[in-house]
Amino acid sequence: MSSISLRQIAKSFGSTTILQGVTLDIHDGEFVTLVGPSGCGKSTLLRILAGLETADSGTVTIGDTDVTQTRPSARNLAMVFQSYALYPHLSVAQNMLTPLLLRDLSAVERLPVVGPLLSRAKRRALMAQVQDTAQTLKITNLLARKPGQLSGGQRQRVALGRAMVRNPVAFLMDEPLSNLDAALRVHMRSELADLHRRLQTTFIYVTHDQAEALTMSDRMAVMMGGKILQLGRPDDVYGNPNCLAVARFVGSPAINTIPGEVDAAGGLNVLGQRVTQAAGLPKQPVNVGIRPEHLFLMPTGAFQGVVKHRENLGSDVFLRIGVDGCEDQIVLRSTPMAAAQLGETVRFALQPEDILLFDAEGQRLRPQTAPMKVPA
Amino acid sequence: MMQHNRAYLWFIAPALILMFVILLLPIFIAAGMSLTDYSLGNSGAEFVGLENYEKIFTRSTYAKMFGATFRYVFVVVPLTVGLGLGAALLINSLKRFGDLYKTIYFLPVMAALIAMAIVWEFAFHPTIGIINATLEHGCGTFLEGWSWYAKGCARTFPLWLTDRNYAIWTVSFIGIWQGFGFNMVLYLAGLTSIPRDLYHAAEMDGAQSNWDRFRLVTWPMLGPTTVFVITISMIRSFQVFDTVEAFYPQGGGPSKSVYVMMFAIYEKAIQQNLMGIGAAITMVFLGFVLVLTLLQRWLVERRTHYA
Repeated sequence: MSSISLRQIAKSFGSTTILQGVTLDIHDGEFVTLVGPSGCGKSTLLRILAGLETADSGTVTIGDTDVTQTRPSARNLAMVFQSYALYPHLSVAQNMLTPLLLRDLSAVERLPVVGPLLSRAKRRALMAQVQDTAQTLKITNLLARKPGQLSGGQRQRVALGRAMVRNPVAFLMDEPLSNLDAALRVHMRSELADLHRRLQTTFIYVTHDQAEALTMSDRMAVMMGGKILQLGRPDDVYGNPNCLAVARFVGSPAINTIPGEVDAAGGLNVLGQRVTQAAGLPKQPVNVGIRPEHLFLMPTGAFQGVVKHRENLGSDVFLRIGVDGCEDQIVLRSTPMAAAQLGETVRFALQPEDILLFDAEGQRLRPQTAPMKVPA
Repeated sequence: MMQHNRAYLWFIAPALILMFVILLLPIFIAAGMSLTDYSLGNSGAEFVGLENYEKIFTRSTYAKMFGATFRYVFVVVPLTVGLGLGAALLINSLKRFGDLYKTIYFLPVMAALIAMAIVWEFAFHPTIGIINATLEHGCGTFLEGWSWYAKGCARTFPLWLTDRNYAIWTVSFIGIWQGFGFNMVLYLAGLTSIPRDLYHAAEMDGAQSNWDRFRLVTWPMLGPTTVFVITISMIRSFQVFDTVEAFYPQGGGPSKSVYVMMFAIYEKAIQQNLMGIGAAITMVFLGFVLVLTLLQRWLVERRTHYA
């Protein structure tokens, strides 16, 4: 009923191109994340959808209505800002009441002094709505306070409450968690996902944090340089990226990229080792992408290197291994039990079917048949 | 060990001594002087108790002084604040020429008021002044429907500066003309510090009209600026002196109708060398300013600092 689509949205500020013809369809009730490094145009895209910026070209449609020329206030979208943008002079209850007052009361009923007398019954009904929303978000005890008296997490909830209270078509969120501390951010991630499940409303969420995108969204759009590079389910984007930039951006620690080569016979050579057969690919230099969890220590492994750095996360240990012939250190995930010590020389191996191949320009190469494991 | 404990004295002493000598001591001396009949040049002075204060609150000259001062303050403050805010909002909404308007409105603030007073004196001159000459051009048109205007045409237009019914308002007008540019600059600074996100939030929340946005965001966010602007304007208005001195070097205007406090202090203490009564008026003046400042602090802390 209220799917949202953006068609060929382009925007530039002066000579700087921010968005170059972005098209995105969002289904009703979906949680879509726009993720990308800063300056990729994700916030601008969200603000164009909200109507706070106008696109140079392209159309925005909500449901069946073209809203490209519609004012933000008439689009019935709600936005949660990075700074929360709560009205500092109003209490939490008044903050949440504001959108209701502005929409449901006439100009006369909003007059100071006279207004409240004329619209007492209406105001009581609206206040009940505020109470309901406050209960959902568990902020009833904060209603009388001013935003200045709240902690970051509480403000975040109030901003969410102000957005929720009038049942908008969709929630737009512009990095809402980036002002919170790490622990609270992780907690709010699950709470937002839970809220989305309960409300069944469209969420469009902008973040630069790929972990937020992976954990919460139904679909995520990875944006870079004003374009959507890949749109898909988090699993697909992580496991099956269609270019090197996406593969590098999603996942932490980042994917290892090792220079390699497909020889004339179609064999894939990495660091002087023939690891697999890349059927159907012509002879060319390639980038071999392999995620840290797909490398493992093995006394008989094909590759050898020295542990240069050891990063202990408790449950996992990431080893950075310096390998001859490879400029970047290779990151390998290990367990605290098995991990080698600093300075040790280790051997490690990889599963050829986990390899992601990219050409010299960073586009994904897909061998015709599944790569076959070469016996060690 | 002892030296260690006293070391802080060396750090705060310069500031304390300077504050005492430059700020507090003169106030104490003035307060002491206000209880005497001291004149400059006299070797001694008689202690007269509260006699000077009694004069201030009983004699008709001083009643006129308070009348003139409060008229001036209560006309100039609201209008300079209102015009300052209006001009700031208008300039802030401009995409071009904002700086030009800013400069134009700020010019009177920078100009020497005493020089400007001479220009205004010419402008308000009853026969050769541009104001009355312009008004006369309107005679015989629909403007004569206004009885005040008709009377002006029939006889003469007011002697703006020398008619006791008009003098204080004319001086107030010049005060407004001179002062609102300063408030405009303060408001412009206040406007730039309002987070853009708040306007966007208001827009998303459904604030369609400029009035809604002004009420929901601009006016509350300008609260601290407004308190400051009002206080500063009040203190400046209480201090008005140079226009009065330029127009009426003797006596404070027609029937003392423009006899403002600062001028009274100057006339009593300097022109007539009655230091005692001059000091007493100064103390009353200081009292007003003190009350205003305390009121400002209270308002700022209680009402307008939201964080």
